[in-house]
Amino acid sequence: MTTSSLILKEIIHRKGNFLLSLLAVVVAVALFISFFTASKASERETARLMLSMGYNLHILPNGTDTSEFLLTGLTDKTMPQQYLEKLVSPKGFSYNHLLAILQKKISWQGMDVILTGLAPEVSLPGQEKLPIVQTIQPGTAYLGYILAEKLGLKKDDTIEINGHTLKIAKCLFEQGSRDDIRIQCNLQDAQEILNLPGQISEIQAVDCLCFAPTNDPIAILRKEIASVLPDAQVFQIKPIATARAKQRQLVRNLFAVIMPAVLIACGVWIGVLAIMNVRDRQSEIGIMRALGYGSGKITALFLGKAVIIGLLGAIAGFLVGTALALHFGPDIFQITAKTVIRPESSLLIWSLIAAPVFAAVSSFIPAMIALTYDPAVTLRQE
Amino acid sequence: MVYLENVVKTYRTRKGNVKALDGINLQIKKGEFIVIRGPSGSGKTTLLMTIGGMLRPTSGTVSVEQENLYAMSIRQRANFRAQNIGFVFQMFYLVPYLSVTENVVLAAGAIDSKKRYTQADELIERFGLADRNFHKPSELSAGEQQRTAIARALLNRPRIILADEPTGNLDPDNAATVLKFIADFHRDGGTVILATHGLAAQQFADRIIHLRNGNIHY
Repeated sequence: MTTSSLILKEIIHRKGNFLLSLLAVVVAVALFISFFTASKASERETARLMLSMGYNLHILPNGTDTSEFLLTGLTDKTMPQQYLEKLVSPKGFSYNHLLAILQKKISWQGMDVILTGLAPEVSLPGQEKLPIVQTIQPGTAYLGYILAEKLGLKKDDTIEINGHTLKIAKCLFEQGSRDDIRIQCNLQDAQEILNLPGQISEIQAVDCLCFAPTNDPIAILRKEIASVLPDAQVFQIKPIATARAKQRQLVRNLFAVIMPAVLIACGVWIGVLAIMNVRDRQSEIGIMRALGYGSGKITALFLGKAVIIGLLGAIAGFLVGTALALHFGPDIFQITAKTVIRPESSLLIWSLIAAPVFAAVSSFIPAMIALTYDPAVTLRQE
Repeated sequence: MVYLENVVKTYRTRKGNVKALDGINLQIKKGEFIVIRGPSGSGKTTLLMTIGGMLRPTSGTVSVEQENLYAMSIRQRANFRAQNIGFVFQMFYLVPYLSVTENVVLAAGAIDSKKRYTQADELIERFGLADRNFHKPSELSAGEQQRTAIARALLNRPRIILADEPTGNLDPDNAATVLKFIADFHRDGGTVILATHGLAAQQFADRIIHLRNGNIHY
């Protein structure tokens, strides 16, 4: 009799114990898969939502009057546009979504307005992202709400600034911010209007989601940026950055608390069932001892069964967990559901490795208990 | 063949130590049929388990086939047991999810499971179980279960059979049949050590040992 045939025959004989043990693994794997899939989706959703809050990192020219910048959001200095290329580094820095901007306060149509020229957003190599802001085509402009209202301008009208004509591509909705008195155009147009060819006033970016609230992200970012732009000044808009980090940490903390609890509960569940199985099989173990079976073969009977339970549980748990995530995910992550809830196929491989190990570990103590049964006591009939 | 020298086995209980074997000295020759008699708790099963290499004595020496059993490693002792000793118990201890044939072949698993089905089938035929070989223990009568257990004990052609009340759960007819099979093994040169309350086995005995309070009384 081979060990595998003994295991299979025992499984068929004690179906209830086997199915309950299998259920424990399925529950553990399914919850892990669904939580993991959901947490990944949550991270993507968070990232998407947080991006809508805008750029939170400002890289400013050397010598910028920081008080003025904090007061007006504008810099009195400029820097070469080529600085952007230095920041687009393959070194794996902790920021992305780089946006070169040239903006100045100008007088236009008897009003103080902000002229903002935007270059197309750039991603770091190998970390290509969808841009936060749309690229503004040369010769076009987006007009702030107050400007459009006061001047009665609408889409497809043309405006002239310092002798430069721009066609209004969009009149923006009211924002309740400086954007309402802003004219946004292509960077090159802004450079021509302001007569600052090849110059930018700042580079905006978004820091990565890798920072925990307990980190000091601005110190890390300043160090990274200083390595390529030693003279630049770096400001982080703390509330946005902190909100991003806290939201991400919230999901991780939830995962970190729930998953160990689920794993422990399921591990104990399997362990208790394995102990019941060992107790049911006391006389069987005793007679095998009497027949000369060694500890290795008896251990193999229990751990082999656990591995089979783990493998089957991994496959079933992956399918159930993925189905749960796909079914309930779209209700939870309504913004990004269509694109972000997807089966994490790599998890199947991890499940096939981890679940048998998990089941074997849970069955290890019962297997050791089986080995400690004294056949002389088990088989005693006095 | 079997040599016990001053064997003591003490069990620790909540009420203190209990001596199950109290300085047993015993020699059993090859081919002997020994019946051990004694009341419950006299130490019969402890003595059989000790001779079978399954229960280490508290002190003393147990030798079988000139091998000091408890000087061996656990693995060596298990192998020795598989090759030399067959056990028969009152409760049969058949594996519930295996058929008659598989239960008999189970004994071969510890040594070599190949080519043993033929031998198992021969034993099953000899013990009148040929039409039951695919049945599970729960589908067998008590007599059939004990015959299966004896077939299992004999599969590895042991030199010694240790039988602990082998007829205790059987009716007189089945008890007689089982004793006959054990006697056949003895007649073929095997050594039998059989513990029993009953008198039926005495007719086959070369020697009867009375055990009382862990001591032998001839």
